[in-house]
Amino acid sequence: MTLPSLSLADFFPLLPAILMVVGACILLLSEVFLSATSSRAYQAVLTVVTSVAAGAVAVAMMFEPPREVMLGFGVLDPFSSFLTFVVSVCVGLAALSSVGFLRNRGAERGEFYALMLFASAGMSLLAMSNELITLFVNIEVLSIATYALTAYLRRGTRPSEAGFKYFILGAFSSAVLLYGAALLYGATGTTNLSAMVGPLGGAMQAQPALVYTGVVLVGAGFAFKIAAVPFHMWTPDVYEGAPSPVSALMSAGVKAAAFAAMVRVFFTLGQGIDPRLPLALFSALAFLTMVGGNLLAIPQRNVKRMLAYSSIAHAGYLLLGVAALFVTAPGEQFRLLGPSELTGGSPLDLARAGALRGILYYLLAYTFSAVGAFAMVSALERREDEEKGTAWDLERFSGLAQRRPGWAFAMAAFMLSLGGIPPTIGFMSKLLIFQSAVDAGLIGLTIVAVLSSAAGVYYYLRVVVYMFMRPVPEGAQVLERNWGTELALVVSTAAVVVLGIIPGPITAWLEQAGTLFGR
Amino acid sequence: MSFFDNHLLNLVVFLPLLFAALVLVLPASEAGQIRTVTLIGMLVDAVFGVWAYMRYVPGGPEFQLEYRVPWFEMFGTSYHIGVDGLAVSLLLLTVFLGPLVVMASTTYISHRIKEFHLALLVLQTTMLGALVSLDVLLFYIFFEAMLIPMYLMVGVWGAEDRQMAAVKFFLYTLAGSLLMLVAIIAVYFISAPAGSRSFDYAAIYNGLLDANRQLSACAAGPEGACDSLTGLARTLYTWGPWLFGAFALAFAIKVPMWPVHTWLPDAHVQAPVAGSMILAGVMLKMGTFGFWRFAIPFFPVATQGARPFLAVLSVIGIVYGALMCLAQRDIKKLIAYSSVSHLGYCMLGILAVTAEGATGSAYQMLNHGVSTGALFLLFGFLYERRHTRLMADFGGIAKVMPMFTTAFLIITFSSVAVPGTNGFIGEFLVLLGTFKSDLGAAAGNVHLTAVFGAFATLGVILGAAYMLWMVQKVFFGGLTHRENQHLPDLSLREGVTVLPFLILVLVMGLMPQPFLDRINPSTERFLARARVGTPGATVDPSQVRVEVMSLPSKQTAAAPSAPVPLAAVPSTRQ
Repeated sequence: MTLPSLSLADFFPLLPAILMVVGACILLLSEVFLSATSSRAYQAVLTVVTSVAAGAVAVAMMFEPPREVMLGFGVLDPFSSFLTFVVSVCVGLAALSSVGFLRNRGAERGEFYALMLFASAGMSLLAMSNELITLFVNIEVLSIATYALTAYLRRGTRPSEAGFKYFILGAFSSAVLLYGAALLYGATGTTNLSAMVGPLGGAMQAQPALVYTGVVLVGAGFAFKIAAVPFHMWTPDVYEGAPSPVSALMSAGVKAAAFAAMVRVFFTLGQGIDPRLPLALFSALAFLTMVGGNLLAIPQRNVKRMLAYSSIAHAGYLLLGVAALFVTAPGEQFRLLGPSELTGGSPLDLARAGALRGILYYLLAYTFSAVGAFAMVSALERREDEEKGTAWDLERFSGLAQRRPGWAFAMAAFMLSLGGIPPTIGFMSKLLIFQSAVDAGLIGLTIVAVLSSAAGVYYYLRVVVYMFMRPVPEGAQVLERNWGTELALVVSTAAVVVLGIIPGPITAWLEQAGTLFGR
Repeated sequence: MSFFDNHLLNLVVFLPLLFAALVLVLPASEAGQIRTVTLIGMLVDAVFGVWAYMRYVPGGPEFQLEYRVPWFEMFGTSYHIGVDGLAVSLLLLTVFLGPLVVMASTTYISHRIKEFHLALLVLQTTMLGALVSLDVLLFYIFFEAMLIPMYLMVGVWGAEDRQMAAVKFFLYTLAGSLLMLVAIIAVYFISAPAGSRSFDYAAIYNGLLDANRQLSACAAGPEGACDSLTGLARTLYTWGPWLFGAFALAFAIKVPMWPVHTWLPDAHVQAPVAGSMILAGVMLKMGTFGFWRFAIPFFPVATQGARPFLAVLSVIGIVYGALMCLAQRDIKKLIAYSSVSHLGYCMLGILAVTAEGATGSAYQMLNHGVSTGALFLLFGFLYERRHTRLMADFGGIAKVMPMFTTAFLIITFSSVAVPGTNGFIGEFLVLLGTFKSDLGAAAGNVHLTAVFGAFATLGVILGAAYMLWMVQKVFFGGLTHRENQHLPDLSLREGVTVLPFLILVLVMGLMPQPFLDRINPSTERFLARARVGTPGATVDPSQVRVEVMSLPSKQTAAAPSAPVPLAAVPSTRQ
């Protein structure tokens, strides 16, 4: 066996992940030399700088030609680069909102930010993975970091419960995924996704049961990761128990990376197996997730739990975009999903590129809105109330418009964006997803999507009602300001509002990002 | 077209937003400054709005003062604005109401003044934007965005049940318009082949036109006319009614037509005086405007099928609204239900598809904005003095507030369509148009036309009854309540606010021609487009096709809206 020789240039595509890992190592090492009372303000700054650098590199890479990297274990394509950009945005904003959060709890440590950066390096690499073992390893890299982050605040029962629950179910879902991958390896004799397409056709003839089971198990594993109904049970408890900035990272970053990997895996598998299988799988998941997530969010008075259920609902809209990827000839599949005539009938390439763009744009929009909303939650919560469970009650938001008009405006923008009301980025991204779904002929699912998003607006508006239309409660606590939180709010509000009105460079990047390697 | 003409509409639309930015930097405690800046903003905007109204040449091209630049090209849209006769008339109404609404709220709004004026200015921009949008998606964005400031206005500055009313208003409207969004996307896809798609109004309309003509010819049917239907025509045959339904539902909720009107009484009653004035004055017109501009021209054949049904709903709305008014004890609710009734006329006039009906309907849209806006304004003054909405708490007010009573009476006459006021012209034309229409034939029996007309006329009579009955109870008779003995009459500020309404009632009633001149070209085009769906009707092709400016960029080559010389358009006369 000969060791592969890699030149320095071969590592260039991994630069964002390398930057994040280096940043994390600096954080870990420098922490050793600090006393308990030293100032740790540099840690968040370093994290943000690292993520900005990684994001900038990712944007530059979007214009690189798609190719295999690291001997075919990974790929560099605009799709993965855009996703790395999304992850960088997410981790940068989450780190900013952690500053005040950790200081209030006396829990500022370099490990926290280092774990965040490790997790995001895992996310970035996961989006690039083109081989099932690499994919699994990267899932574990990001998962183990987030397990630790979830239980980072060890005091109290909630974080431990959340961390344990997340760990058990996360490990279970990873095992399911791995088992599915093993079956696929058994059927095709390779773990490389690009190499798998060829033998898959033959394996389908020889051992259809093996292939189908593998595909379904891999799908179930991913469904756990992205919290699709009915694999969503862990989400609200974990998001509620985790520190709010970590919930933000999980709801946006982890989900984005898992979506990217899922799209890549199934897109490749879809070329070998009957695409109707993934279409049926994702249509059913999308339907259940959109309806279930929105209906379950309606009765929540706890804003953090509401955001958790809302993140489930948003996974549903994204699944709608994923389902649109697998429509080969509109109307031939299921009459139930939509009429054959009412479609764009765009050439398959165009339609799929549109769906990929929709998914990426939606992930970006969701990242800005959800991370912003979690930052607001973390700004309002107090440690004393966590055990009582009132730290995240809607009551917290009463009269916010009078106490902190800027915050109330920001939160209103996030809520409207999550609800998909123009002129916000949330509307534009929903539009792109719906456009590709209609183009693919999934009219029925699109109607379900718009109706469930109308139901969703009800619970988003409730937050706005409390902020703007309720009086300030008696004896309300003083709202502390923190530069990190405020900066995170300003950046995400600006993005949510401005990108909803002016396309900016994002759409130019998106034009690129509809390219998936091997298509 | 000069530079100024190009940007005139941009100026009108975004000037309020500019002043909102100005208000934003003022300190919240400076109520006087905030009000003054807002008022100046609205007045300047009104000046430019009137200017735009004057610049509109009635005999010119359909859309004037156009402006178009690329915007979110990836989505297939562009920033494209321009006005036709109806839009410029409604624009005039909107900028006319703007400053008056600010003046009406001077004393009514006493807390969170800065936020209120911000909401007012943003609302103005979104409403004007919706009126001038020539891109369907742009229209949709403004159409939805206007919900946000209105929702805040009802929910923050409204009466006791404001939160419920605000949420109901928002969700009701949103549910309808989201379905329309799916329909818009579907229409976008079917109206042109891949690569040349656009959300532009002209692109979509012209894309559907030939299919609509074929379908219409097929329905009129010499044998074999249906054999050569294109794919698009067949799609429209199957799914046109559904798409039309989605558009119609969204706009019907906004109008509101019976039976989806239930959000309106709540929202109107709970809203502050400014909210009610804008809601009644402009926002409801977005529904009728939507039918006129989008729903009916896009789907004339489906419209033809649904006309009797929609006309029945309109007539029910007219009569039901009037009957509900007769049963009210709450004055504001009465005015709200009278809106349901009046907007029923607007819808009936549109659905009649006759010159009189459509003109009357467009005129009635303006009238209703003036008269109902003024009614809410005047009632707002009364409410500020007594803080009650019940008729029983008043009586004999004429003795203590003679000027107020005079103003109220004049507006009442306009509302019940007394000859000489603006209301008369609108309602008369609508009724005339209904009697002359083929609604009965469309419904299956020629004599049914008279039934529609008769019920609509009944609405007029009932309208006079409930308004005069209310006036009598509130203003005449003896002073039954001691609290009312010392009510002050109109102050100077209030008088100045009401005066423009009174003048407009008389001007529009006695000199309708300048207003009708601008509406007429739109009416003719609307009729031509609606008649594409009428089997056997003769349609002038030059009136049908939509001509707009194309994007001044690389897209021009691929744009489906590239103007085709009129001579090249095949005529489908039969």
